[in-house]
Amino acid sequence: MLKIFYEGMKKSAEEEFQRRPRAWLMYTIQLTSTLLKAFEDDAKVVWTTYYSFPMELLAAFDVVPFDFEIGCNLLPGVDPKGCVDIMTEAEARGYSLDLCSFHRLALGSYFLGYFPKADLLLTTSHFCDGKTKTNQILARYYGKEAMMLDVPNELSKESVTYVSKQLQGIAGKLEEISGHKLDLDRLQECIRASNRARAAYGRLAELWKTKPFAWDGSRLCNLSIIGNMFSGTPFQEQLYQKIIEECEQRIAEGKVAPEEFRVLWLAWFPAQRTNINEIFRQNKVSIVMSELARVYWDEVDEKHPFEGMALRCLKNPYVGPIEQRLAGVLQMVDEYAVDGVVHFSSAACRHANASFRMIMDALVARDVPFLVLDGDMSDQRNYSAEGTWSLLESFIEVMAVRK
Amino acid sequence: MSNVRRIGWLCAFAPEEIVSAAGLLPMRLSGGGESTAVADAYIYSNLCPYVKSTLALGLNGKARHLDGLVFVRSCDGMRRMYDVWKTYVGTRFVYMLEVPKNKGEAAVEYFASQLRKFAHALEQEFGVDITPASLNEAIRMTNKARRLMQRIYQIQRNVPLPLPGSEVFQLGLDGLGMTKGAFILRLEEYCKKAESQVPQRGDKGKARVLISGNVIDRPELFRLIEAAGADVVAVDLCTARRHFDHLVDENSGDPYLALAHRYLGELSCARMTGLEERLNEMEELVKAYAVDGVVYTSVKFCDQHLADAPYFVEKLKDEGVMVLFLENDYTWGNTGQLKTRVEAFVEILDSRRR
Repeated sequence: MLKIFYEGMKKSAEEEFQRRPRAWLMYTIQLTSTLLKAFEDDAKVVWTTYYSFPMELLAAFDVVPFDFEIGCNLLPGVDPKGCVDIMTEAEARGYSLDLCSFHRLALGSYFLGYFPKADLLLTTSHFCDGKTKTNQILARYYGKEAMMLDVPNELSKESVTYVSKQLQGIAGKLEEISGHKLDLDRLQECIRASNRARAAYGRLAELWKTKPFAWDGSRLCNLSIIGNMFSGTPFQEQLYQKIIEECEQRIAEGKVAPEEFRVLWLAWFPAQRTNINEIFRQNKVSIVMSELARVYWDEVDEKHPFEGMALRCLKNPYVGPIEQRLAGVLQMVDEYAVDGVVHFSSAACRHANASFRMIMDALVARDVPFLVLDGDMSDQRNYSAEGTWSLLESFIEVMAVRK
Repeated sequence: MSNVRRIGWLCAFAPEEIVSAAGLLPMRLSGGGESTAVADAYIYSNLCPYVKSTLALGLNGKARHLDGLVFVRSCDGMRRMYDVWKTYVGTRFVYMLEVPKNKGEAAVEYFASQLRKFAHALEQEFGVDITPASLNEAIRMTNKARRLMQRIYQIQRNVPLPLPGSEVFQLGLDGLGMTKGAFILRLEEYCKKAESQVPQRGDKGKARVLISGNVIDRPELFRLIEAAGADVVAVDLCTARRHFDHLVDENSGDPYLALAHRYLGELSCARMTGLEERLNEMEELVKAYAVDGVVYTSVKFCDQHLADAPYFVEKLKDEGVMVLFLENDYTWGNTGQLKTRVEAFVEILDSRRR
């Protein structure tokens, strides 16, 4: 079923691309092509976490990366009701409604036979307890090995060594899966591609500071998560370059949406269809940045690729004490001249939600309006369009008063 | 005891030995029945009630007896509770100890380095020296308490069950706040009493239940099972077997490495990788204690244990073991519904024994 869904997405994106060769279509085609490769018989499929695992390492082995969270959570944007039915498959087998809808949807997709095969299930510890656990459970169902890159909560020489050693161990496992030895030159080439993409992304993030905002806020949030799946491939830089060109063109031609309020988005943007974009459009609100879209990592040192990739993991805003995340949030508040900050709190996203008070206090001290918007990533049963409308409208009023 | 400096801990992975070696008293901090209302304003409401209840204790000023509190990276909830505690509760010394989630050589080495760092932080903060001799002595004392507790667990393998499961559980729970010396004395006395119990020959006893899950700090579930006519013969919780099982090597040249091996290599917990390993341990307990049924329980919103539950239930049932899964709110306040479920479960166990 997922395969048919990806094929449909790809086909319509390709047809549209013929008429309008836009960056987002280019991205959709590449995303769906990669996901579809996972269904090919001879593919070596490594399940992973696009937004937290150093994808350069997978790119160096030419394995097909598949993220079960992303793979099935493209569905709620199209068919939220159908997704409830899929989640029900997991719930009927005892998976608690208190678990994240991302993971219930993944488990339901497995039970219904929607997923591709898996040769190895690989994830990271820093996003999040639910993902690591679901990864282990799916690995048992598939009868395949689960591996977890354990990323400590502290940055030190020892933690860099620890993560780096684990990455080397994972490389050994990837040698087994892919059937070829790690080619260090190839890995360095992937690191260089990733560094070039990082530079392009930095230029893009600079452009997003322009008033009015010259792109699409929900796409920005989406890209900050899924865009990482291309790390280590030349496509990532090409994609960012294309978005830069489109943003520059919009700015030059004055073809940008009217903007009265600028918002920084924290945590995730819902995968399911919601009324958030519509409310923002009507009230001339732009999401100008997302906390996961920030370039928080340094260039990876290609001479020490494992240490470099380890450092990138350890500098993730969700790793470490709250100060690390908070510093990034406050920096974006200043740099993007936002009028308010929204924290989307998906019911089971505990690692993100639990810090709301500290973020709120820091923003209140700067007189920046802050809203905790409760909702759910993928489960429409936990999402209230009316409640969202009412909360966001009140929040916009607060921003208007402060202005 | 008034001059004793106390260091609270929250997870079975916190190495009590290092705290004891510093001349400080390690004691488990538990929210117990503290209302979580105040915590909801500081940490998200959909968080584990153990975290919220314990945080509430701190926010309500009921953790002032502590001179310090050591967190470990048990889970997302604990990681974030550390931030909140440090910011809003204001205990003198608040420490986050890194505990890897993987096993293996790199993880053990890294954990040993973190244990040394923790020891150093205690030395700096409290002006004490943790010498190899004091650490080895603390390891010996902690092992001694563990051995005694294990002896009691061993006694519980007998049919019929010699000691009420609720009593043994409470004994262990009490020990989590005592000096090792006092705890050892109490355990020695209890062992004498336990070993004097002579099982009635031919008595098949009651249905035998294993409780498995994460954290329980109150006796309600035990009482429900016992009142329904079954025995709790083994308890696989953070506050029971997982705390007392496995010893630290007393003859290691590097006590920190020895501690790292015990805590990381031996403890089986849902936070670690190794789903199958945990299942195997549970199956071994079922055999060793002649268990008729397993009550698997988890506090609400604990992703690690909740996610494991269906897999364990399915696999144990495949092995012919009856399982009752209970999601709990940590306070065990609403026992009415639970009572019905527990009674029905015990009835099934009884009928299968006939």
